[in-house]
Amino acid sequence: MKPPVRRSSIAARLTWMNVLVSGIGLLLAYVSFLAYNLYAYREAAISSLSGEAQIIGSNSASAIIYNDEVSARTTLAALDSSSEVVAAAIYTPSGELFAQYARGAAPPPQPREIPNGQMKASWVDGLDIVAGSQIVLQGKVAGTVYIQARLHGLRKQAMQYATIAGVVLVFCLVVALLVGTVFRRILARPIVSLAEVAHMVSRYRDYSLRFTPEQSYDELVSLTHAFNEMLAEIQQRDAALEQAKTGLELRVEERTAQLQAANRELEAFSYTVAHDMRAPLQTLTNVCYLIQQTDHGEFSGERAPMLAQLSVSVSAMSAMIDDLLDLSRSTSAPLHLKQLDLSRVASSILEGLAEANPDRQVETVIHKKCQVNADPGLMQIVLQNLLRNAWKFTGLRQGARIEFGCAERDGATVFFIRDNGAGFDQRFADRLFQPFQRLHAVSEFPGTGIGLATVQRIIRRHGGDVWAEGEVDKGATFYFTLDSAKS
Amino acid sequence: MGFCRIQLLCCLLLTLCVSSFCSAQSAVVATPSQVEAAYLYNFEKFVSWPSDAGQDPAPFAICILGEDSFGETLNSLIADETHQGRKLVARRLSSVAAANECQILFIGQSEESRLAKDLIVLQKKPILTVSSLPGFLEHGGMIQFLLENKKVRFSVDLPPAEQSGLVLSSQLLKVAVYVNSKPAQEAKQ
Repeated sequence: MKPPVRRSSIAARLTWMNVLVSGIGLLLAYVSFLAYNLYAYREAAISSLSGEAQIIGSNSASAIIYNDEVSARTTLAALDSSSEVVAAAIYTPSGELFAQYARGAAPPPQPREIPNGQMKASWVDGLDIVAGSQIVLQGKVAGTVYIQARLHGLRKQAMQYATIAGVVLVFCLVVALLVGTVFRRILARPIVSLAEVAHMVSRYRDYSLRFTPEQSYDELVSLTHAFNEMLAEIQQRDAALEQAKTGLELRVEERTAQLQAANRELEAFSYTVAHDMRAPLQTLTNVCYLIQQTDHGEFSGERAPMLAQLSVSVSAMSAMIDDLLDLSRSTSAPLHLKQLDLSRVASSILEGLAEANPDRQVETVIHKKCQVNADPGLMQIVLQNLLRNAWKFTGLRQGARIEFGCAERDGATVFFIRDNGAGFDQRFADRLFQPFQRLHAVSEFPGTGIGLATVQRIIRRHGGDVWAEGEVDKGATFYFTLDSAKS
Repeated sequence: MGFCRIQLLCCLLLTLCVSSFCSAQSAVVATPSQVEAAYLYNFEKFVSWPSDAGQDPAPFAICILGEDSFGETLNSLIADETHQGRKLVARRLSSVAAANECQILFIGQSEESRLAKDLIVLQKKPILTVSSLPGFLEHGGMIQFLLENKKVRFSVDLPPAEQSGLVLSSQLLKVAVYVNSKPAQEAKQ
């Protein structure tokens, strides 16, 4: 009889509601029934008592008239058979006690005036009821009889009713529980299983589940219908969403592939162009060189500087093509990671620069043992670009200084190249790494505008990052990290 | 109780007794003849006469033959009283011959010598005969007053009453000291 209350609390509540309602109904019925019965019992007792008083009265009229107390007492003694009568008395019209009867030592009931025009009356005296009846003989009052009764039966009857009601109550509660169980099975179980299905749906996100009730009832059918419809709706939306997502992914992949293909084509094209341009350019350089070397005075005067200018332009173009090739290679060439000491690489580059420009006095500071795991060729390009830039932008500075180092920051190794050169406006720091973007005029500092873009690409391919801090005329610092440096 | 006695005494003495039933209670103090008067008057309540059936317009007569020991007591008791709609009257008779119009006849002490003859005259007539003379019932009387423990009581002889067509109620017989219900011959045997 102990249902899993928490799991089917509706069922338990239904059962208890049933029990409560029937219990209250029974109790009310019992109380009203008892009240009515007690009232009726009392009324009947009063009525029978009045009748007895009347009979006693008419039987004792002659006794009063002929002053025969013995006869009157004999008449009263007949009340002995009525177990509830405790005392009785006959009074003369003047209020004198004529004869009395008492069960035990009960005092005789006191006379009370009976209202005019009424032969009898009854009243309550404490626990007892008293019935009075006038003895009338041929229209004349010969005396009055009073009978006092204690209604033991009243309490006894109340107890009996209480016992019966208690038994019936218990029986009805049991029946209510049984009926409640049956109703629970009929009413609540479909709801419980519906709840279970809902729980399964929400737990496993399986919207293909459907609820099929064992039996059909109007509200439950509509509930089930609504529930299943809702599930179908959710399932449909889910499918649509999934389809849309798949479609979107496919499209993104497609586009990405297209873009990659286009990019590769473009890079291949630019590589091809740059590569193929190199041969004729080399020819031009060689020709210029040969002309200058084999000059026997034909290029004197105005023509000599023109030839020099041609030679410089060809060199610039050659440098640009080299840079373009570097840029192209930085993205397309496969990575070959190796343990590498960047300090030595930086040192050799700076030595090379110092040799190429013997007229410049540059203080170089190189931190030792900046180890890294990276592609040596690409890292060569990175450091070359950054150090060349530093060399270039300190060109107008007296007491130029270039520093290369590495430092631990937030668990990662940060490499930096610091100079005290021309610097730049920090607001344009982002533009530094975009190809062909220059913060200084070519006339001031020559360059292709590709170097930093190439640096950024290489660093990113290594999973690292590059950024710059600078101030106009105060110098610049380029930082970079390499994710592979850790491994 | 004392109050009631005094009140009743006053009532009797002044012949203004309001409730005749009280007289029984006062018997202890009242004289036996006064009690007898009340009893006499009350017999009409417990006895049925053959004439009760008809619509007799004549008054209901309570007669006293011979010596009247009641005096005004009886007169005052029956004043304005009726029996079945018939007015109660008291009559004093000197001879039994005049008793035909009576319903109740009290035979006084002075009739002792003529008692037997009187009762023969009254035999089978619808007249309730009452007396306090000793041996009254043996001579064919119906109700005889007697004193028991200084209280006025009465005995009843039913056969003469039955022969006269009178019906005495059981209530009356219940309070009688002695009731003879056997015919006179058998009783004598």
